[in-house]
This record gives sequence, C-alpha cells and structure tokens, in this order.
Amino acid sequence: MIEQYQNLDWSYYGPELWSATQETLYMVAFTFAISGGIGLVLGMLLYTTRPGGLLANAGVYWTLNTVVNTIRPIPFIILLAALQPMALQIIGTGIGNDVVIHAMVWASTFGIARIVEQNLVSIDPGVIEAARAMGASRLRIILTVMLPEAFGPLILGYTFVVIALIDMSALAGIVGGGGLGNFAITEGYQRFRHEVTWLAVAVVVVMVQLLQIAGNLAARKVLRR
Amino acid sequence: MSASFASGPQAPGDPLIELSGVTRTFRTGRSSSVTAVDNVSFTVRTGEVYGVIGFSGAGKSTLIRLINGLERPTSGTVRVLGRDISGLSESQLRHVRRRIGMVFQQFNLFSSRTAAGNVAYPLKVAGWSRAEREKRVAELLEFVGLSDKADSYPEQLSGGQKQRVGIARALAAKPDILLADESTSALDPSTTGEVLRLLRRANEELGITIVAITHEMEVIRAIADRVAVMDAGRITEEGLVYDVFSSVREEHQGSFVGSALKDRPTAEDLQRIRAGTSGRLVTVSLKDSSAVSATLGRAGQFGVTFQIVHGGMSTTKNASYGLLTIAVEGPDEATQGFIDQLAAVSPVEEVKEQ
Repeated sequence: MIEQYQNLDWSYYGPELWSATQETLYMVAFTFAISGGIGLVLGMLLYTTRPGGLLANAGVYWTLNTVVNTIRPIPFIILLAALQPMALQIIGTGIGNDVVIHAMVWASTFGIARIVEQNLVSIDPGVIEAARAMGASRLRIILTVMLPEAFGPLILGYTFVVIALIDMSALAGIVGGGGLGNFAITEGYQRFRHEVTWLAVAVVVVMVQLLQIAGNLAARKVLRR
Repeated sequence: MSASFASGPQAPGDPLIELSGVTRTFRTGRSSSVTAVDNVSFTVRTGEVYGVIGFSGAGKSTLIRLINGLERPTSGTVRVLGRDISGLSESQLRHVRRRIGMVFQQFNLFSSRTAAGNVAYPLKVAGWSRAEREKRVAELLEFVGLSDKADSYPEQLSGGQKQRVGIARALAAKPDILLADESTSALDPSTTGEVLRLLRRANEELGITIVAITHEMEVIRAIADRVAVMDAGRITEEGLVYDVFSSVREEHQGSFVGSALKDRPTAEDLQRIRAGTSGRLVTVSLKDSSAVSATLGRAGQFGVTFQIVHGGMSTTKNASYGLLTIAVEGPDEATQGFIDQLAAVSPVEEVKEQ
C-alpha cells in the first residue's frame, strides 16, 4: 500500500490536492463568516422572543421557528439544486464554488440559529432575572449576560457547525464547484484510483480533528474545566 | 453616576414601599387561573426590616417581585420610593430597579464573571467610571469579608460565600431597598447565621430598608422588626415580630405561626407528658417572663406544685418570647387560684386533651 503512494505522480496530485484543500477552506470560511453572524442573531431572537422570553413576541417567534423548521430538514444536495435559480439572480452564475457558498449560507444560517437557541436555553433564568433586577437594559442583558454565560457551549456548537460545513462543501462538484469532495470523486472514484480518493479522506480527517481539538481547548478555557 | 431619581432622600419612618389592594393572578389555562397574591396591602417604612413568612407556595416570591416590577399587579397599586410603579414601562422601571438591590435563594451569580466582576456589574449598569467601580468593589468585598476571593469564580466559592457575593452585588449601587428572596434557604445552619448577620449589618450600618421573604422562623427572629404572615396569597397577620409570635391564640393552631413556633405540645407530646403527671395542663405565654417566673415561684403559697413539661423561649431582634406548658398539681380550688393568678400576669390557655 505504501508503494502505491510512493509511485503516485506527486507532481500532479500534490498541487491538485493542495488547491482542492484551499477551495474547501475558502468555501467553509466564507460561508461561516456570513452565517455565523446572522445565525447568532436569529438564534438569539428565537430564544428571546419565545413565550416568557426577554423580548417575548409570538409573531416573530412563530415565523422564525417555522422558517427554521422548513429549511433545516431539506437534504443539502436537494437544496443546492433547488437554490440554483436564486444563486443565478444573486451572484450572476449557476455554477462554481460561489453557488455552493450561497446554498451553504442558507442551510447553515438556520442550522446555527437552532444551535444557538439550544445553547441559550441552558442559561439559568435566575441569572437573567438578577440582571433585570439590577436595572440592566434588554440589549445589555443579551450582550453582557446571555452571550458570556453561554459562551463555552456556543464554541462547541460552532465547532460542530464548521465541521458540518466541511461536509456540505464536499457536494460542490454537483454544481461545478471544486474542493476536496470534487477531488475525491473526479480524480479518485471516477478513475478507479482509490488511493487518490483516500488522500482526500486523510486531509478531511486531519482538518476535522484539528478543528475539534481547537474547539475543545477554547471551550475548556472559557468554561475553566 | 446616574442621576438621582424622582423623590429626595427618605427620612427614617417615612413610607418607602406601599402596596394597596394588590392582586396578581396567573393564567394557567384557557379558563383556569391561580391567584398568587390576593388583595394584599402593607407599608414598609424607611429603615426597617420587614419580614414576610409563610409556607412555600403562599405567594411570597410573587409578592417580593411586585416591589421591583419583575411582576406586575393584576389590580391594585404598588408605590415604591414615592412613585406608583404599577404602570411604568420596562425602561422606566430600570431607574427604579437601580435603587433596589435583590438577593436570591439560588444566588444567581454570573458564572462567567469573578466575584469582583459580579459586584461590579450593577455599577456598570448604573454608569460608574472604572476607577469608582474598582474602589466600590473593594469596599464591598471588604464589607462581606471576601477581599481575598475577588478573583474567584462562583464555582470556586462555598454556598455561604456565594450568598455574601450576592449581597455585596445587591448593595453595590448604594440602593435604598434590599429585597431578600429566601436568601438563606439554600444554606446550612452555620452559614445561615453568617448571612443573616450580614443583612442585619446592612440595615444597621448602611441604613438600608430590607424586605425579606422566608419560610424560616430563624430569619424573622434574627433580622425582622415587623412581620407579615402570608397564607394562600393573603396576609393573615401583621405586626411587630414580638407581638405576632408571642401571643397565645386559638387561630394559630394549624396555621403557619403555630407550626413555626412548635412550642405547644403535640398529641404525641401529650401522651408522653400524661405518663408522668396527672396535674392540670396549661400553656402560659412568656411575653413577660419575669412576672411569670415570680408567680411560679409562689406556687407553694397557693398550696400547689407544678412541673414544667413543655416549651421554650426564643429571642427576636429586640425581645424574647415563648410558651411554657406546665402541669399543676394540688387541690382543685388551689389549682384554679394559682392558674387565675398566672392568667392575671400573662395570657394562659388550657391544654386540650385529645
């Protein structure tokens, strides 16, 4: 098996693998930069507008909750295809990595909203009541009580999301995008070169491991345990 | 520092909190509801410690939250610091709340902040400068005896220490009123004393008016000047702690006051007592213990003997009270004369044999 890799044409596969890795990182980072922020805001809205919440508002809560529940269960490969016309409108093309990013932003924003909401639910309501009793404004409570109190679990939630984004980005090839998924299918699978497919597997595994370790370390530091 | 709010400083004895005809009802279903606070009226004066005692579920938690607007009355008015707060908006209420500190049963400390950070939080809310904050935080941690724990996080502190941080935090922005919501109920007896002493110091040294709700007699005894007894959403009795708990009254039987006192013999006690004496059993109030003692000392002159079979004394913030049950033995007439004499100096109640 080692021989297979020694005999591989590294002058071709090396740069190919590297650029596929970069494309995956690009898609994941770009998506996360957008959906991480919007998802956080939507998640906080979901948590605070629920009945009995700080900004309790049945209409907003019901609408958001319904949208999240509608978009989340759609398998990503279907969403990618279904949102193609919209991508054509917004970014002017129906193929390539940016079309994938567009679909990933939709899928992950609502996924993140739910994860943020679930982590905020674990905050002790007494702590929020204490801040209200001190005369803190609602915005101040959201920013200086809710976020810091849920910060550790949020880091773990976001780590989970980034790993899910790597998973989604592997489908980029469907709409003419690149990345490690496309590399594994076109360079490996379709040419019966399984050792090449496994190169992509190895890179993804290392990537996910590093992310999870970093996420765990950061959360542990925040949670002081 | 935030601008001072509405009224000027209150003189001791002025009404600071006034609830009149306050009712709070919670809807529990389409057509069912629960009345947590039922037509309650009382006044708390500047500088006093006002206790509210009752079984859990009596509506105490709702009652205390009406004072800082965390709960809104369904009907009736709540006046705090000279202002009717029942109709204020959430943002108007913030200014009132900054003058009211609150201590919670479960402490409710911010786990993401150190002890110092917790105490500093209300100061940030009130807009104090960093330098002022640091000075005030050091002062308060000193006051509660936790200067060495400034950089500790809540999970590194014991229950008593957490509550002391909670008190420091509640006192931080120099409030006029301190609300103590079952502040010692999650603590063991030795730390309870620690926390109660601290609340008393806050009242005596800083002049803060305190409203404390609790189901523990000990809290009322240790810190309260006046007490209201709450049962099923209503205040059933109110007055000086001493008066409420020292009286011998039929209606206390089975009520909170009766069960909190525990100084009347129960049916089992009676069985045990009866095994040792056949005398006539009476319970006498120790409100004027010296007069009672003097009368008991003259039992021989009446030709009777007596035996102490049940009871005890308790000490409140500024007086003591208690009930004593004695068995009087002697000729019927002499016994009656002795008991009449006792009744002349202190309330006496015949013990009913079940």
